[in-house]
Amino acid sequence: MARMREEHAGARGGALDHYELLELPRDATREAVERAYRLARSTWADDALAAYSVADGAELAALRERVELAYRVLSDAEARGVYDDALGALAAQEPGEPDLGFDDEEVKIPAELPAEIESFDDLDEPEDGHWSGASLRRARLSRGLELEQVTAVTKVNPLYLRCIEEERFEALPTAVYVRGFVTAYARCLGLDAARVSGDYVERLQAARPSHGLRRRPRTRP
Amino acid sequence: MGGGKGGVGKTFLAANLAAALARTGARVVAVDTDVEGANLHTWLGVGSPRASLADFVSGRVQDPLELVVGTPIPNLGLIAATHGHLAAAQPEPSRRIELLQRLKRLPCDFVFVDCGAGAHPATLDYFLVGDEGVLVLHPEPTSLENAYTFLRAAFYRRMHLVMQKHDVRERVREAMDQRNARGIRTPLDLLREIESMDPEEGRRFARSMRSFRPRIVVNEVESAEEIKLGFSVRSVCRRFFGIDADYVGYVNRDPAVREAVLARRPVVEVRPGSDAAIYVQRIARKLSEAAAAAGAG
Repeated sequence: MARMREEHAGARGGALDHYELLELPRDATREAVERAYRLARSTWADDALAAYSVADGAELAALRERVELAYRVLSDAEARGVYDDALGALAAQEPGEPDLGFDDEEVKIPAELPAEIESFDDLDEPEDGHWSGASLRRARLSRGLELEQVTAVTKVNPLYLRCIEEERFEALPTAVYVRGFVTAYARCLGLDAARVSGDYVERLQAARPSHGLRRRPRTRP
Repeated sequence: MGGGKGGVGKTFLAANLAAALARTGARVVAVDTDVEGANLHTWLGVGSPRASLADFVSGRVQDPLELVVGTPIPNLGLIAATHGHLAAAQPEPSRRIELLQRLKRLPCDFVFVDCGAGAHPATLDYFLVGDEGVLVLHPEPTSLENAYTFLRAAFYRRMHLVMQKHDVRERVREAMDQRNARGIRTPLDLLREIESMDPEEGRRFARSMRSFRPRIVVNEVESAEEIKLGFSVRSVCRRFFGIDADYVGYVNRDPAVREAVLARRPVVEVRPGSDAAIYVQRIARKLSEAAAAAGAG
């Protein structure tokens, strides 16, 4: 029972509820909850850059504790359902916006919460229509992924991934392997793997001196 | 363009956002207000401007339009901070207000104002006059510390100007001192304090607080972690200041920028396909969309 009270504590008078704490809308998907939780954890981490000079260790610790609690509730379908019902009941009791101590039809602080942690508008179409190491890196960063995370999925050595992004062709193995690496990388990002690897291998072959056996890459119409 | 700390890329962004929008056909004027460290002209490829804000400060010129000099980039004009002076003074406060009002009426689509480092009242006013205040950050503690100081200072300055009753203005002034006796630490604390003093001023304060929406740009990022910093800073602003900020984009560390500086041209001109140029162009698009949505020009 004590635990139950604790989990509903945030929903009461003025304090942020779990959704507000994680900056999520009430209908946030499970995936959005995960993303928001990871972001909140890094935002309020002890050595976090973003809160530097603003929040002290105790404030950060308190925030982290609340984030963990919010996540425990929102990531568990059953607990979330109970919590939502409690929030709904509270809203029915006290209609209106969080009380700021005065009434003004216009004023809501914070203003509307973002729909979810938005990713930047997609960079999935390379600027000149051809995939390159740089456009792969942009697509990766726009998804918030580090190279190590790509390695974890693709099993491709991060050194190779870095060489692919930086187009250090001399450090890469033969085209057959590179095609495989790039295909795995592109797939991990959810891109059209055949097109990305085709474009990339074309660049690789154009940059490498022909060994006679290899046909010159055809240029695209 | 503001951000407190020097060297985070305010001038780089001012020059390149201005150039990026000019390249889309908009008429743009870039204004350098950093009289102590003027170099926007060099970023834009203007060797020695023949007119500058110093002419306005000295009273030689009344209309800022006469200060606009051409740049090698079509549609892009420049108002330099100084020319031939070692360090020109900022205009007197009354002249400054006049300047800001006239800048807003320049016959063009976008005006980019590059603020200097620090949080001098003049710098804050240049930041506050814009429809969009862009806060430039570097992923390092020193930049964040200065940026938060800058943001707080800008916020309190704005509120001091918006409040009408003498005692309320005094309270805002007290709050500017972080160690004030009343324990007002954040804009939210101040809002509650003012609301209890005078409900009408409280409403005015809250309305003005809502429209204070700095746009965050993180410059020279090198990892996905550093990209996420913008979202985290947005959370910190909301939680600790009650200020809603927008994260409008990041620019990654790119050697093309240095190449462009050495060539004394914007990177969006000399290397439009480089990472830095592509990211700058996206931010420019977002800002122009925001301006269009706000009905501003």
